[in-house]
Amino acid sequence: MPLDILLPMVIFGIVGITVLLHLLGLSHPALLGNQTEARTAWLDEFGEDIPTRVILSHDHRAALIETPLGNGIVWPMGADTTARYLSDAQITRTANGLRIDLPDYTAPRIHLTLDAAEADLWPTLLKDPA
Amino acid sequence: MTDMLSYPEVTQLAVPFFIAAILIELVWIVIKGKGGRYETRDALTSLIMGAGNVASSILLGFIAYGFFMLLWRITPLDLGASVGVIVLCFVLDDLRYYWVHRFGHRIRWVWASHVNYHSSQHYNLTTALRQTWTGTFTFMMIIRAPLILLGFHPAMVLFCGGLNLIYQFWIHTEAIGRMPKWFEAVMNTPSHHRVHHGRNARYLDANYAGVFIIWDKMFGTFVPELDGEKPDYGLVHNLGTFNPVRVAFHEWVGIWRDVRQPGLSWRDRWMYCVMPPGWSHDDSRDTSEGIKRKHLAHHPEDAGTPGFEH
Repeated sequence: MPLDILLPMVIFGIVGITVLLHLLGLSHPALLGNQTEARTAWLDEFGEDIPTRVILSHDHRAALIETPLGNGIVWPMGADTTARYLSDAQITRTANGLRIDLPDYTAPRIHLTLDAAEADLWPTLLKDPA
Repeated sequence: MTDMLSYPEVTQLAVPFFIAAILIELVWIVIKGKGGRYETRDALTSLIMGAGNVASSILLGFIAYGFFMLLWRITPLDLGASVGVIVLCFVLDDLRYYWVHRFGHRIRWVWASHVNYHSSQHYNLTTALRQTWTGTFTFMMIIRAPLILLGFHPAMVLFCGGLNLIYQFWIHTEAIGRMPKWFEAVMNTPSHHRVHHGRNARYLDANYAGVFIIWDKMFGTFVPELDGEKPDYGLVHNLGTFNPVRVAFHEWVGIWRDVRQPGLSWRDRWMYCVMPPGWSHDDSRDTSEGIKRKHLAHHPEDAGTPGFEH
């Protein structure tokens, strides 16, 4: 197929589908309904490391997880979630909460929306006790 | 010799069909409220990966094609271009696909290219387009060499490979439950392929088929979709980014970091490239076998059931 047909078709196809999905309301990030859901989301990634404490953010979009192997975080990946340990994390205060930089090519940066009290408290909790 | 054979670029011609089918599936899901899930950024990443795959084929396709034409020049065999030969080529190329796909899950160097295809936590028609940008660097074009040497023209082999990929597009859906029994017995179907995308211990390293599921049944890798265990889609450790560049290259970066660890023997460095994903020199990670073993330790009642038979 000539490029001058293929290229516009691919570009308009991608843009059109993306806009349609957004207009249909399919861009909402995952909600962690309660601590049990946050715990399950953690165990989906690290099934052998049972959380000893789960702290949900006020908007239920993230959870701080304490485990015997260290602290971690659960956060939305679109309509789903993922999780990471926080070893060697760099934590920076932002206007909306916190930014966590990880030395992990697959999850280099996490933006957490936290209220002021959480943004003050979480950095102390995020520090790995190990 | 049929040197000048040419076939249509079927994967490019199929682009309008891909777009239309995605829209139909999306409308179906929205109207019915079932049959799958879509999420904007996930779908966008998949679509960009698909476009990148096409671009990569245009830019790097000459390497594989040049290799195939070299083989074509040295082989004394030429099977011609009859319909029967095309059908035979399609079946044998599907067998080739099975093994390339199996290597893609069992050799980390090849997995580095294939992993992005499994990186979505969704399973819809856009997932089918989440294709590799780095397939050329796996050197898996070598697995096609026997076909060319047997006398199938390179253009025909690539044509059949394109048809194979187009077939696989429609099976990336939750909107279809199961096909008729005779079809499920022979062909790869949405049900069989959902298993392939599952990260459940039971479903790891199963159902590598492209078109014909019979290869998995022949080579012992078939696992049926169980009504009581819905596939959980994605990777064992899911990505924390939608950035297509990171999706495309993350496992290559992982290999690079692993082989550069200080204090490793050259054998260990080599093993990080060629052993199954999850292998590590100090056993600090789990391969799919390890994950299955741990699952059985917690669920001994699953031993001997599909996916835990060996």
